Amino acid sequence: MAMSRSFVLGQHYPGVSVIHRAGALAKLTATIILMVAVFVATQTPQYLPLALVLGAGIVLSGIPLRFFVRGLKPIVFLIVLTVVVQMFFTPGTTLWSWWFLRITREGVVLALFILCRLVLLTLTSVLLTASTSPIELTDAIADLLKPLSRVGIPSAEIALVMSIAMRFVPTILEETERIIRAQVSRGAKIGEGSLVARMKSFIPILIPLFVSSFRRADDLAVAMEARGFRVGSERTRYHERHFGSIDACVLVASGIALAGVILWRLFL
Amino acid sequence: MPIELKNVDYVYDSGEPFEYFALRGIDVRIDEGSFVGIVGRTGSGKSTLVEHLNGLLFSSRGEVLVDGQALSRDRKVLSSVRRKVGIVFQYPEDQFFAETIFDEVAFGCRNYGFSKEQIDASVQKAMTIVGLDPGRFLPLSPFQLSGGEQRRVAIASVIAMGQKYIVLDEPTAGLDSRSKLTVLGELESLRQSSNVTVILVSHNMDEVAEFCERVIVLDEGSVAFQGSTDEFFRNADLVNRTGLELPQSYRLARALKDGGCSLPLDESSSGRFLDSLHSWLSDSGVR
Repeated sequence: MAMSRSFVLGQHYPGVSVIHRAGALAKLTATIILMVAVFVATQTPQYLPLALVLGAGIVLSGIPLRFFVRGLKPIVFLIVLTVVVQMFFTPGTTLWSWWFLRITREGVVLALFILCRLVLLTLTSVLLTASTSPIELTDAIADLLKPLSRVGIPSAEIALVMSIAMRFVPTILEETERIIRAQVSRGAKIGEGSLVARMKSFIPILIPLFVSSFRRADDLAVAMEARGFRVGSERTRYHERHFGSIDACVLVASGIALAGVILWRLFL
Repeated sequence: MPIELKNVDYVYDSGEPFEYFALRGIDVRIDEGSFVGIVGRTGSGKSTLVEHLNGLLFSSRGEVLVDGQALSRDRKVLSSVRRKVGIVFQYPEDQFFAETIFDEVAFGCRNYGFSKEQIDASVQKAMTIVGLDPGRFLPLSPFQLSGGEQRRVAIASVIAMGQKYIVLDEPTAGLDSRSKLTVLGELESLRQSSNVTVILVSHNMDEVAEFCERVIVLDEGSVAFQGSTDEFFRNADLVNRTGLELPQSYRLARALKDGGCSLPLDESSSGRFLDSLHSWLSDSGVR
């Protein structure tokens, strides 16, 4: 059965580097700081300190570069579109023109700036999700949301819902595989034939999946209550994380990047 | 014609650092019309082996022949093999999706393009075989049945396709003891009446001793024994070594013998054990 195979979920790239070992809360905060820095900058050169810090993070993470390139793929279309629009439709000194098309110096400068902005934003978030497991990430989001529970937002429950959802993704994938095997053995042809036939062929998979998910949710609720879970009570964690020196380094590095961008913008 | 596996290996994550042989050098022959058990402790490769029989998995090495036809990813070969080999998976009631039991049982027949009359006839027959009254059950929703009834509907949904080989992966898990015997008894009568080959994967050695003439014993992905069920269970050392247990009747016969009992009783399945006990008692004039 497929259970023995290791399972890589989404964007996570397991590893043991310093970046992997850093606390998820620190990494999430650092990511937010770096993103703020991306938006603070007004000119391309100001991205230099940011790019250096991010580059160091990427190198230290030991995650292969192609993984980051793959992370950029979904936004290639967006990048190309904005770059082209900026290049051709920004008014200013003409560099090159043909018929109604006109590229301006200002357009090129702006296009380069937007390109850097999009790439840096994406790489920052890829580094976060690649080096942090989904479960750690949800815990970190829960920590960030915690202050909101004072104003009546059930942050602990939101976090619980998120982590349960994460926990069950592999289980449900496995269940899907199991059901597909059973239906294929009964002669089901999945994803074959006309569009209508193809859509219909998913019914024998989706309905059993829904049924078992509801049953599983019921079982889970009973099991949680049987072990003393009550909504709204104070919760502890199995993996307690304490703020460590790596976390401090991560935060300081992102702080330096932000400060660098701000100083450059103010004084150069 | 038999199902044959010739020197079959199955490797998970081949070439990766954690590559893992689920099956290694499997040579197995399953004759047409037989009732064969596949046994072995958890993780011995039973389920992986079963998934090779209708092309859900493909061997990393060696070949699988169904009626002389070698399995391959070719669509035609696959559909002809799946037409011959039906699999009832563990907890088959988890696959239910139809509104009525009729649609559930007819699903496979429709996929294989049976005519309307053929579908009606096969569904009726399959329901009768698993001991559920077609008139009463067919219009119901499969979700409103009891566990035992659901299991039988799931088995009917495979039997209805009229395949030559029927593989059942733990068909009696979670059933009460009466339903267990009924389900297996029905399979045995199906085998006798239609010459269907039944392949039973089971952890219950009493069941295996009672119903299977032959067993294939797997241990860590290799075949540890293949042959008559009696022969296997009389070899208590081998049974032990492969992590299995003796059936009750074999244990009792053994205990009687070891205790110096002079009854002429051989170790055998409980049915035959009781028969021989009965005939010995009546021979000695006990009523």
